[in-house]
Parts: sequence; C-alpha cells; structure tokens
Amino acid sequence: MRKLLRKIFLVDLMQGLRVTFRNQSPKCIVTEQYPQERPKVAERYRGAPRLNTNPDNGETLCISCNLCAVACPEHLIVVTSVRNEQTKRKDLTTFTYDLSRCMFCGLCEDACPVDALELTQDFELASYTREGAIWDRQMLEDGPKPARYKF
Amino acid sequence: MADSTFLDSTELVLNMGPQHPSTHGVLRVILKLDGERVRGTECVIGYLHRGVEKIAENRTYQMFAPYVDRMDYVASVSNGLGYCLAIEKLLNVEAPPRAQVARVILTELNRIASHLIWLGTHALDIGAITPLFYVFREREEILNIYENYCGARLTTHAFRIGGLQYELYDGFEEQVKAFCDMFLPKVDEYEELLTGNRIWIERLKGVGILNGEECKQYGVTGPMLRAAGVKWDLRKAQPYSGYEQYDFEIPTCENGDTFDRYIVRMQEMRQSVRIIRQAVEKIPAGPIMGKVPKVIKPPVGEAYVSIEAPKGELGYFVASDGTTQPYRVRVRPPSFINLQSLDRMCRGALIADVVAIIGTIDIVLGEVDR
Amino acid sequence: MPEEQKPEVKPAAPAGAPAAPKPAAVMAVAPWESELTRLLKDQFPDQIAEFSTYLGQNFLIAKVEAVVPILEFLKLEADFDYLVDVTAMDYPKRAERFDLIYILYSFARNERVRVKTVVAEGFKPATAVGVHLTANWLEREVFDMFGIEFAGHPDMKRILLPEEWEGYPLRKDYPIVKQDERWVKENLGIESGQ
Repeated sequence: MRKLLRKIFLVDLMQGLRVTFRNQSPKCIVTEQYPQERPKVAERYRGAPRLNTNPDNGETLCISCNLCAVACPEHLIVVTSVRNEQTKRKDLTTFTYDLSRCMFCGLCEDACPVDALELTQDFELASYTREGAIWDRQMLEDGPKPARYKF
Repeated sequence: MADSTFLDSTELVLNMGPQHPSTHGVLRVILKLDGERVRGTECVIGYLHRGVEKIAENRTYQMFAPYVDRMDYVASVSNGLGYCLAIEKLLNVEAPPRAQVARVILTELNRIASHLIWLGTHALDIGAITPLFYVFREREEILNIYENYCGARLTTHAFRIGGLQYELYDGFEEQVKAFCDMFLPKVDEYEELLTGNRIWIERLKGVGILNGEECKQYGVTGPMLRAAGVKWDLRKAQPYSGYEQYDFEIPTCENGDTFDRYIVRMQEMRQSVRIIRQAVEKIPAGPIMGKVPKVIKPPVGEAYVSIEAPKGELGYFVASDGTTQPYRVRVRPPSFINLQSLDRMCRGALIADVVAIIGTIDIVLGEVDR
Repeated sequence: MPEEQKPEVKPAAPAGAPAAPKPAAVMAVAPWESELTRLLKDQFPDQIAEFSTYLGQNFLIAKVEAVVPILEFLKLEADFDYLVDVTAMDYPKRAERFDLIYILYSFARNERVRVKTVVAEGFKPATAVGVHLTANWLEREVFDMFGIEFAGHPDMKRILLPEEWEGYPLRKDYPIVKQDERWVKENLGIESGQ
C-alpha cells in the first residue's frame, strides 16, 4: 500500500526536487563572475613564462646554459648568447619562446639552475596573430599585459 | 530471429556521427536499426589519434611524461602514475615511502574526479541535467588541490620518474581532509537525486548487460568487470605503490547492467575517500625522490606494468634499447578495449539505450585513440 | 644522486658504451622454470624457443605457427583466460623484423605471461580472435600501425587511421614528420600540415 502511495504521489521524484531546491540558496552559488572577479590561482601555477631579472641592477639572471632548451619536449626555446671576454661568461642576447606550442609542462622551469625562467600565474595569453604568440626576450621579461576592462 | 516476410521493415543504417553531444568525444557509431531496435553497431574511431606512441620514440623518458597526461585527459594523474611505475620498474628503483603515500592520495583523488565526470555526463545523457553542475562543483575542490600542488589542474604532470618533483605544500593535509569531510555528504546527495528515482531505474536497469564470462572474453576491466560480479581489482591483486597497507573494499554487483555499474562507481568513490583518509593520517617524513640518475638510460629490456585506472586496467609496455629514448612505448588503453564490447551490449537495445550504454562504458576518446 | 644504477638482474651486456665496439646489447634475461613451462614443453616440444624472465616478468618465445595453439592451450588448460594486450615491435635490421607480443593474465593464478614471436614482413600470422574475443580490435591496431595482417580476421581494416591511408606509422622507417600527403590533399584540401 505504501509503495502504491509512493508511486502515485511521485515521492522519489519529489525527493530529488528537494535536493535541487535546497541548492538554490544564494550561499551555494559557486559561479565566478569573470572578468569582474579574477580567480586567484595557486602559487605554483604553471602559466606564462617569465625571465627573471636581478632586482638590484636589472640584469637578467639567465646564464645562457641552454638547459631549458634541452629539456623542452617541443624544442620551442631558442637561446643565443655571446661570450663576454672580460667576465669569461656568456651574455644572453636573444631568448625566443614559442608560446603557441607550449604545453606548460614545467620541464623548462625545473631545469633552470638559477631560477631565471619561471612559469608565473598569468593565464591570459591571447593574441590576435600567430606571431604574437612567439615571445622574445623583452616580452618574456615584461610579461603579458591583458586588457583590464572597467565595469 | 523469425524469418522475414514482406511485412517486415528493412534495415536502416543511421550514423551517430563524430559530432554528437552524447558520444563523449569524437566517436562515430554506425547503427543498423530495425525500427527502434539496434541490430548491430560499428564503431569508427581514430578522430583523435595523435600518434602518442610514435612521439614516445622520439623523446627522452622524462620529456615524454607530459604527453602521457593527455591521453585520458579527465584523469591525468593515473596516466602519469602508470608511466612512472613502468620506467621505475625498468630502472629497478622504487619511490621512497613519502612519495608513495602522496602518490596514492593524488591518484585516489583522481579516481574520484574521474567518476564525478562520469556521473555528470552519464546523467546528462540520460536526461538528468542537475548532477552535472553539482559534480563540477566538487571537482573544483579536487582541481584546487592539484593546482596548489603541481600548478596545473587538468594535465597535471604531477609525478616524476623516481618520486615527486614538488614537496607537498603547507596545508595539504588540511585541504585534503576538508575535502573528504565535505565530499561524503555530497555522494549521499547524488544518490538521493538518482538512485531511488524511478526514471533513473527504468532507464538503467536491464540495459547493456554483460556478464562475467563475457567481460573476461572481451578483456573488459574496471568497474564494468566488477559490476558483473568478478571481484577483481589490481590494487588488491597486484598492489603497487603501497596499496597493500590500506584497508578498503572492492564493491561488486551481480547483474552486470548499467544500474549496477552506477552503483559500483558510487561505492568506489566512497572507498576512495576511505583510502585517502587512511593515507593522509600516515604521510611519513623523508625524501620525495628516489635514486634516479639525471640522464635516464635503462638497461636493454622490456617491462609491462599496469595499474587500476578509474576506467580499467591501464598498462604500459615499455621497451628500452639502452639509449635515452624509449624503443617502444605501448599503452594498453582501458577505454579502447572496453569500447569493443559496445556491439555485444547493444544487440536488441533501443537507440536511447545506446546512449546510456556508451555513457556507462566511461570512455575518454583521448585514451581510445591515443 | 646522479649515480649509475646497477640492474639487479643477471650478468649480461650493459647498455651500449661509446668507446670500444661492443656487440649489440641484449636483454639480460634469466631462464624461467616452473610447472607451467614443463606443461608447455610437453605439449609443444620443439616450437618454443626459450622460456625466460626479466625483472620478474615471465615470457616465452615461440614459433609463429604455434602461437594460436599455445594461446588456446593456455586458456583451456592453464586458466589464462584474459588477453591483456596484443602489440608489436619493429626491428628493421633483423631478417624477421617484427616482434609480435601477446600478454596474458590468469585470474585464478594471478599471474601474467607474455607470448612473443617473430614475424617477417609480409607474413600473415593466424588471428587469435577465435580464442580471445579481445583480439579483434587489438589486431586491427597492430595491422594499422605495423602492417602485419592477420589471416582469418573477420574485419581486417584500419582502425585508427583513415582507411585509404598508405604507410604504417609505427615502423621505424616512417619518420615522425611524415604524413600521407596524397590523402591529406585529397580529403582535407590542404597542402601539408607541417
């Protein structure tokens, strides 16, 4: 008898509806209103690459050891350097990073011995052209500057 | 089948094309229909074939690890675990205990995440749209844990050969424990939405039956095999990465139909929470990386290592020729082999059941096609 | 940390060294003896070339004509009822260039065994579909990637690549940047993808 009543009055369907209505309260809203609120990503987030510079004198930390280029699975880093006769070390001239093929695996960041190459928390990397995704040294040091809209 | 007379309908061939909301990716199923009943199916796959096995022969062992995540992109941590275990077997090293416990925690979180997506998309195909949203809300918490740990949410590249790269961050245990406490009531919520629901039961019970013997013949593993009554789980049969220390059960059911697979996967999520709770209590201190050389050149040989991925038995057959690049990496994809049984399960079903059956096999086309 | 690890297994040639011309390195296998190997030796006296084990994983190398009878024997007599995988490897410098590998698992015994055989190019081994239904798509994939056709297979056509594709990608002489340009031009209308 109870089963018949449950069947007629759609009790099991009502139970499901109760769950749905319980989740309608404003406390349960988890949608982020992007781009008004930008999500806070983790510290270790593997986003846009950046070439770090020494904060005191503004010189690049990169020692042109080429380890990042060797470690990259897609071979998209090209590092060129000239040898400095006075300090007997290599000076970085150009550093090309092809962001369109990058899979953000982090192997280049792990390989860098001086923490010059770092994957930051920037994830807004769109550009209007394919060539815009190939970053040179200047772009790598500055970082992407996505448009910030005012609402 | 009765002899056909001139009153019978002719067979209709219908294409459930690669672009379809319910085929979980680019899967093409050619249905031979007699009215609404399916007489035969043929799967055409390969739309997502990227040649991962060929790429493996041209990269070094460490370089190939990010590619492996992209096969089963829903549950990428298990792929990484299988690959690292295979290379560690070739090198004859073992990850240190701290790394093993951390691997278990992340892999079980991964299993929950994969089953959550399965639940959401399967329910969506059947018509219950609500679980999809709740499921992604829970998955957000898991992906936040991954993001805090290794920096990426989906293609995590979390493990390295020999152990872990990143130390566990401060607050890892608290976040995982908070997730476990938050999650179990949510599983009850999903069950409240679906398990007793008469529509759900009628759509799923008796659909896509594959009994134990047929599962073994077709090589089907994972929750499909357990729903057919075969109590077999690689985590218990051939434990890896320290699974023998944890106390958990293997859920099974008897009939092997779609409803049983749903029950098995829901129970597996609960058991995963149980494992995570045990593992989080006993994370030992110590190193996170084993003794692995910087340039990995395993001795000439081959090994096959398989793990219990959320979808079935994921195996890696790696052959090395002594150089820094593998000679052959073969991935035994559970979704590919489970998908073979689609034809067997769809005989005599209705078209709407075909959608339910594709959903219950839990395929990810990235793994089917590699 | 960067020390050279020692393989724990048996003494044999280590991985190739640069200086002196060494013979090609081979797998350091150990012989495998068990009740299963005795059963197999009785049943197939001269068709199994060796029983070996490497890193705890047992395998046997058999003649290609005997493979399907061995699979059937293992399934019926020794409980190896689950075919895990069928795959192949290409050694282009050998006369018989392909290595065909079947991996089997037994639920009752909880152990795995590999059945390996060597296949020459153009040879068509018998299909295992009659013994294990799993082999259907797995053999299609081996055909697709390596070009090894299986005689008696119900549906021998390509599975992952388009049907009219020419070339077998996982062979060692197929470079990684190569595509079947004729197929791409005809079907996709673009000139080359690279």
